[in-house]
Amino acid sequence: MTPALAIRSLSHDFIAADGGATPVLDRLDIAVAPGEILAIVGRSGAGKSTLFNIISGLLSPRSGRIEIAGVPAGTGNSRIAYMLQKDLLLPWRSVLDNALLGIELRGKVGAVDREDAIAMLERYGLAAQINAYPHEISGGQRQRVALTRTLLLRPTVLLLDEPFSALDYETRLMLEDDVMSLRDERGMSVVLVTHDIEEAIAMSDRVVVLAGRPARVSQDISIGLTTAGRRDAISAREAPEFRAYHARIWGALKSTAIAA
Amino acid sequence: MSAQIDTAAAPKPRARQASPHRTRNLIQNAAVAVIVLAGLALWQIAADRHLINGQLFGSPLGILASAHQGLTTGTLLYDSWVTLYETVAGLLLGSIAGTGCGLGLWFVPKIARPAEGVSIVLNSVPKIALGPLIVIWFGSGMSSKIWLAAISTFAVSMIAATASVRELDRDLLNLFRALGASRGKIFRKLILPSAVPWIFSALRMNIGFALIGAVVGEYIASQAGLGHEVFVAGSLFDLNTVWLGIIVLTLMASLLTLIVRLIEERFVTWKSDR
Ligand SMILES: Nc1ncnc2c1ncn2[C@@H]1O[C@H](COP(=O)(O)OP(=O)(O)O)[C@@H](O)[C@H]1O
Ligand SMILES: [Mg+2]
Repeated sequence: MTPALAIRSLSHDFIAADGGATPVLDRLDIAVAPGEILAIVGRSGAGKSTLFNIISGLLSPRSGRIEIAGVPAGTGNSRIAYMLQKDLLLPWRSVLDNALLGIELRGKVGAVDREDAIAMLERYGLAAQINAYPHEISGGQRQRVALTRTLLLRPTVLLLDEPFSALDYETRLMLEDDVMSLRDERGMSVVLVTHDIEEAIAMSDRVVVLAGRPARVSQDISIGLTTAGRRDAISAREAPEFRAYHARIWGALKSTAIAA
Repeated sequence: MSAQIDTAAAPKPRARQASPHRTRNLIQNAAVAVIVLAGLALWQIAADRHLINGQLFGSPLGILASAHQGLTTGTLLYDSWVTLYETVAGLLLGSIAGTGCGLGLWFVPKIARPAEGVSIVLNSVPKIALGPLIVIWFGSGMSSKIWLAAISTFAVSMIAATASVRELDRDLLNLFRALGASRGKIFRKLILPSAVPWIFSALRMNIGFALIGAVVGEYIASQAGLGHEVFVAGSLFDLNTVWLGIIVLTLMASLLTLIVRLIEERFVTWKSDR
């Protein structure tokens, strides 16, 4: 099956002002299947955000390529959308207008888009805040507006760069659930970048550990959890396998700390 | 539903808090008024009893008389109008041009750095010293005052506008780019709106600079305006009219500041500190 997203022998250096090169990513090969949630775990400074910027086309890699549904990124019909830790809402726009920003920048906002946006905001419990400004709502609500803005673009691949790490624990669990059920409904692929091992295990089908300097794929672990009912943010954390995965990933990250 | 009830109830405690606050304000204002009135009374008594030289200091009643005369002959309103016109025209011209240049630099990042340096050098030029030059170039009519006011405000607006671009969140810019926004759309929907608070704060600072530019221009060469009036009165030792001019100029600056603030409040409803 053609992967939804394929990262092929991707390497990247940052060139300093004095001409010295800092290698950041070294020949990464990662494929994400349609409908898969993949977590990329690495220590801070490992190059996760750099990888994201390359996938979303903001940065050109030194070598290697990105394919979306089998074709080079930016050429096909498939869409990538990303979300960061910062909600990046525009303070002068209402919640609804912020949610519609992506559509507005790509073309015209129609009545259908508006209805879609309102329906999605309502689903996230923001019905009463549709005309509020970002400073009038909580951090968790803001991140949900950002998620709505991202999802309204109907992405086939959703990139999340530590999207919930600034939120309190409870809100984080709720948003993790939101992303998991969205994947179930829409079958989109999700790439989650995080340094939070628990979040990685709880949310994803597979965890890739980036390690070393420059970063390479040091582990690629499929996650299988036995949950009582539906798998969600809580039941996943209570699965009997959870601790073992945690130890294994933690070990992989720690060993790189010594190697680096 | 409960959320709606919450928002409806929210202003109430604020309204309750407002009343002691208002009382405190009232007392403060009354105190200021009493002090000012007492000062004016002392000044008048001192002038009447020749404790101070009325010729050199003027007196409150003299200022009133001067105001009365200015109003009945119509010169006061006319001079105020002339200075106000010069100030506002120069303020708008300089601020709009400065903001335009500062924001426009975003389109040409290559020259942004050197141009920013130029704007900082421009800002340190003592603009008032250019007065005689401007009068030679543009004559002794209103246009030289407008130019002087505009030159006095240009650099401040340009520096504020370039700063707003520099301080822009890189991630926001990346978001717009990743969403496929054209440069024009990025400018209209990101650069411009995020500059609005900076534009207004520069505008508020520029009110004073524009007024100084206009008045000093009138000092140098003019046929009308409050600066003209003050200058002529000063050379005739008519201190009451000098004071009157200064008072009207102060009122004018306050009025302009108030107007800018009202416009800003209409425009920038989304700021959290408001
Ligand atoms: N624009 C840049 N120029 C030079 N070095 C950079 C740049 N962006 C990131 N880096 C460096 O690349 C490394 C990886 O950064 P990043 O991708 O942000 O890591 P992570 O997201 O995993 O914390 C870091 O050492 C960082 O200092
Ligand atoms: Mg990062």
